Amino acid sequence: MNEYEIRELCEAFFDAYENRRVDVLDRLYADDCIIWHNVYGRETTRDENLARYHEGYAGQRRRTYNDRIVNTFDDGFVIQYTLNGVMHTGHRGALWICIVAHCRDGQITRIDEYMDSSKFPAWMGPPRRDVGGDASEG
Amino acid sequence: MSATDTEHRRLCHTLFDAIEQGDFARVEACYAPEMTMWFNVTGEESSRADNLAALVKGQRLHRRRLYNDRIVNTFDDGFVVQYTCNVVGHDGTNFALSACLVAEVHDGKIVKLFEYLDSGKFS
Repeated sequence: MNEYEIRELCEAFFDAYENRRVDVLDRLYADDCIIWHNVYGRETTRDENLARYHEGYAGQRRRTYNDRIVNTFDDGFVIQYTLNGVMHTGHRGALWICIVAHCRDGQITRIDEYMDSSKFPAWMGPPRRDVGGDASEG
Repeated sequence: MSATDTEHRRLCHTLFDAIEQGDFARVEACYAPEMTMWFNVTGEESSRADNLAALVKGQRLHRRRLYNDRIVNTFDDGFVVQYTCNVVGHDGTNFALSACLVAEVHDGKIVKLFEYLDSGKFS
């Protein structure tokens, strides 16, 4: 893959994440893709990752993947970005994340994700006061 | 492998070897005068002088730090290195931290560093 193809794959991947296009993510992950997270220190398979996609959105109304800085290398890319989220409470949070990805034949074969778990409370904000429902929820 | 790739890889390993060995003159030689470093834990950018001071201070905190398992990938004007920092404390305890550093390089010197790690592992 050349630099443009790798950049397009990177943007398509993050756009799909933002737009909840699990069908596109499914297409962009290679069958043997592995995802490693520094917070958990373990690898997950593509199927495990896809299965947990909606679970990962729990409590969140919207996510956008902004300020993307992408650099490419021979068989992959590194992307630094800000994950902006709006929770069902209306709270807005942000996480700074760096991902190193390896690519082959138009698909992603490996992802290593780095973030700071100490930012998670500020990301999620305070819990909803009315557990039964929030009239402002979108 | 291009000459730039080789030079960036050499610069990356020189930096990490120098930090590991406490050779701060060599660390300083890796940095451009206007170098800055951004850290995901604080969200702040520090100057070259602040970074060098923090490295000197940080060295005293532990008995030994090794920057192992370095996976380096280079691009036109920089590199990304994923590594494990293995730390031995003064009381003999060991811990490991996985981190990622993205560097922008101009004319053979580092002009910007971005460091990502999980400070939740500090405790």
